[in-house]
This record gives sequence, structure tokens and C-alpha cells, in this order.
Amino acid sequence: MPEVARAEYLEELANLEASALGGLDLVNGALTRTMEAVEHQDVELAQLVVADDDRIDGRYLEVHQALITLLATQSPVATDLRLISSLLHVLKNVERMGDQCVNVCKVIPISGNEPPADEEMVQLILTMGRQTKALIVQAKRAFEERDVEMAQDLVRQDDVVDSLNRDCFRLALELGDDIDKREWAMTMLLAARALERTADNAVDIGEQVAFVVTGLFREFEDASHPS
Amino acid sequence: MLGAATKRTPTEAEEGKGKMTDSRAATATSTEPVAAAGRPAKTIEARGVNLFYGDFHAVEEVTMTIEPNKVTALIGSSGCGKTTFLRSLNRMHELTPSARVEGHVALDGEDIYGAAVDPVAVRRLIGMVFQQPNPFPTMSIYDNVAAGLNLNARKVSKAQKDGVVERSLRGAHLWDEVKDRLDKPGGSLSGGQQQRLCIARAIAVEPEVLLMDEPCSALDPVATLAIEDLIAELKSRYTIVIVTHNMQQAARASDVTAFFNIEGTGKPGHLVEVGATEEIFTKPQKQETEDYVSGRFG
Repeated sequence: MPEVARAEYLEELANLEASALGGLDLVNGALTRTMEAVEHQDVELAQLVVADDDRIDGRYLEVHQALITLLATQSPVATDLRLISSLLHVLKNVERMGDQCVNVCKVIPISGNEPPADEEMVQLILTMGRQTKALIVQAKRAFEERDVEMAQDLVRQDDVVDSLNRDCFRLALELGDDIDKREWAMTMLLAARALERTADNAVDIGEQVAFVVTGLFREFEDASHPS
Repeated sequence: MLGAATKRTPTEAEEGKGKMTDSRAATATSTEPVAAAGRPAKTIEARGVNLFYGDFHAVEEVTMTIEPNKVTALIGSSGCGKTTFLRSLNRMHELTPSARVEGHVALDGEDIYGAAVDPVAVRRLIGMVFQQPNPFPTMSIYDNVAAGLNLNARKVSKAQKDGVVERSLRGAHLWDEVKDRLDKPGGSLSGGQQQRLCIARAIAVEPEVLLMDEPCSALDPVATLAIEDLIAELKSRYTIVIVTHNMQQAARASDVTAFFNIEGTGKPGHLVEVGATEEIFTKPQKQETEDYVSGRFG
């Protein structure tokens, strides 16, 4: 008898967790390039991000299928079952975050190669991008370390992103009557909205950390019933 | 048999009551259809139960409440005492020489080990279904079901007996398959049908509780699921306790799960954790339970 029963299954589960969380690294890579494309209004780089989203979708499909196979063949229960359930949620969030990067990149070509960019707005978006990347890194670490406190701290970090998003709106209203500038500001608001949602996805992953550890699911923040 | 072989502590319940009460004795041979679903069944209270075979301490200090109209699954590795504990719930273990019990087991407050309690009366109120289907192989299907009535030696008319046999076979989901061959031997049925025949035989005497000792371990998956469906239906009328090695079966078929374990060879089995099946299989309280239900044993 092997020293640890079901060693192969446990190794497979650990590998799938690493692959699912590795999806967050792919998202962070996509987000880095997305922010570079925003900063330099780089249409070609934006198109690269859009095309590269297939890698994130591929990771989703591959790990999702393997988790379903584990459910079907290994009858996981207790912590293993909670972990697999959580990883399915993590994967869904990874896939959504990848799509949000695509959403940002798709609005970049709308205003052309030399848009009437407002430096203050660009800086706000870039700050949102940096903050969102930090959330993604923290969500991954909290999951790996099963650290509920670190996961709950994501809410505080997310509040910063929400605040920056509101700043973007305020600034857009102040940009004047120039129609090209207003159109450009509109595309940046779409980008800000996508980043704000991406940060929310990171908080959702934090909620899954709490579920794996405690067995209880509750939203850290309820948008329909704000405290 | 019990008095000389058993060393146990008298309890309040025992002192006050000498006889098991059979609340449905008068209706046991009724020709009425199966009692309406949802009848209240009885509760079993085990308090500080210790079981011995001679000097060997097999089960140590089990305290748990087995709730009415629910299926309680006893799980645990071989030798952990779950079957021994199950058999103590209707004094079946007394059939093993040198077996004895200490502690208290009560059916709705009445001590089943009371000094004047007849073990046969206990076993009629708390029926048992075994691992291997054990119909009387040459006896007809009809007589297999009626066997309990005949043994209970009450005067029962043919019409009453016909009613009980039909109602019991219907209750065990077997009537439609055997109604045209009731005179054929019990041994002519398939394994799954034989087990349902044994369940029909057990419910023919209108017990309060059904104990099942790995009732599906000798059956194929289709017959197993048929028995599990039957268990789900029977719980509306009976209190059911099932010993199973199949954890998926415990997860599927039970409302409450009790996990038994042993520290090591030669040590007594003990109850580690009992709780709602949903909790035991999603978030058990004890690491020992978590390791067992997750298959991290050995």
C-alpha cells in the first residue's frame, strides 16, 4: 500500500489547482500589455491581446474539463469537494478577466492612432490597471496560502479601484465640448468600467478562499445591499 | 439468556418498565393498506454503550440519538465496531456466545435491555436485514413473507395473511414482480429481489425500526439503487439504520451519518463524529472524519 492513499488523485488535484491559479498569471500578463496599449494608444499591441485571449480560454477549458473528470471518477468530498467547486469558480473569473482585457483593447482602435488623449485620464486608467494587477496577485496568493484575512483585505483594495473609476467619470464630464475628445473619453470610461469589473472578479476569488477554508460561502460585499 | 451473560448498569427506565410496549400489536395483522406515509416512528437513544466479546472490548462508549423517520448510516473501516453496535440495537449480538453490553439503549424511552424485556419482542419491534439476502430458499415467496406472522403465533386468518403479504410485498416494491408466482420458492428470485423479499419479511410484522447491515453489498448497481429508493420511501414509516462500506451509498441514501473508527488493532471501536450527512461529506468537524470520507486512510 502506498504511504499516502490516493496519492495520484491528490497530485492531480494539486496540479489542477496550480493550473487554475496559473490562469491568473496569464491574466496579469494580458493586463500588463493592455495597459501598455492604453498608455501608448498602441492598436497593434491591443490586437495582440485580443488574439492571445485564446490562451486564457484554452486554460479554462482544459482545467475545467479535468476537474469535471475528477468529480466523475474520484467522488471527492469534504475539503477536496470544496476545493474543486472553488476552482471552477476561479476559472470562470479568470476567463471573465481575460475577456475584460479584450474589452479594453477593443475600444483602443475606435479613436485611432493619435486620439485627443487627456493625460490625467490616461494616468487614472493606468493607476487603476496597476491596482487591479495588485488585487489579482493578492487573490492568487491568498488562495495558495488559504489565507482568509488576506482574501478579505481584497475588499479594501477594491474600494481604491472603485474610487478611481468614479474619478474617471468626474473627469470625463469636465473634458469640455470637443466632440472627438468626448468620444475618446467615452472609450476610456468603457475601459475603466472593464478594469473595475476585473477587480471585482479578484474579490470573488477571495470569497472562494473563505469557502475552501470555512465551508461557508458569503459575499464579502453585496452590491445589491451595500452596507 | 440475557440475565446471566450480561453485566450492565440498571437504569431508571429499566426499573420503571418491565415490558416492551408494542403500540401496534393489535393492528399487526391488519388487512388495511400500508400505514399512511409520514407516521411517526420511534427514536433510539444509545447512552454510554460498551460492547464486549469475552475479554475483548469491541465498542467503547457510544452515545448517540438515532432520530425517527430518518436514515442513519454507520460508516467506518472494517473492525471499527459499527456492525457490532448495530446488532446491539436489537439485541442480535446476544446470539454470539460471550457477547455482552454495558450502557443504555432505549426505544422511545423504554430500555430494550430491561430485566423483564423479551429479546424476541425487541427484535420484532426492531427488524433486521442482513448483508446476504437470506430468504428461506425452499419456502414459497408467500410463506417467506408470512414467516414472521406464523412465528409470532397469533391466530391469523388466511384473508388477513393475504393482506399482510400483499401490503408487505408492495411496501418492498416487489409485488408487481412476484404477484403471479407467490407459490414459487424464495430461492428462485434474483439477488436484488431476494433482498427486497427479506425487507418485505421484515416489515410484515410492522416493526418500528429497520436495521440494515450492508444490505446492498451483494447486489449489482441496478438492484442497489432499487434498494436505496426503497429505503428512501420506507423512512416515512420507519426509523432506519444502515451499515455500509460504500461511502457514496451513505452520502446518497442517509440523512445522518455516524463515523466509527479504531485507534489500532485490538483497540475498541468508538464513535468519532455524528452529524447531518450533508455536513459530514462537505465539512466534517473532525480531521479523522475528513481523512476517512476523503479516502485518505491507510
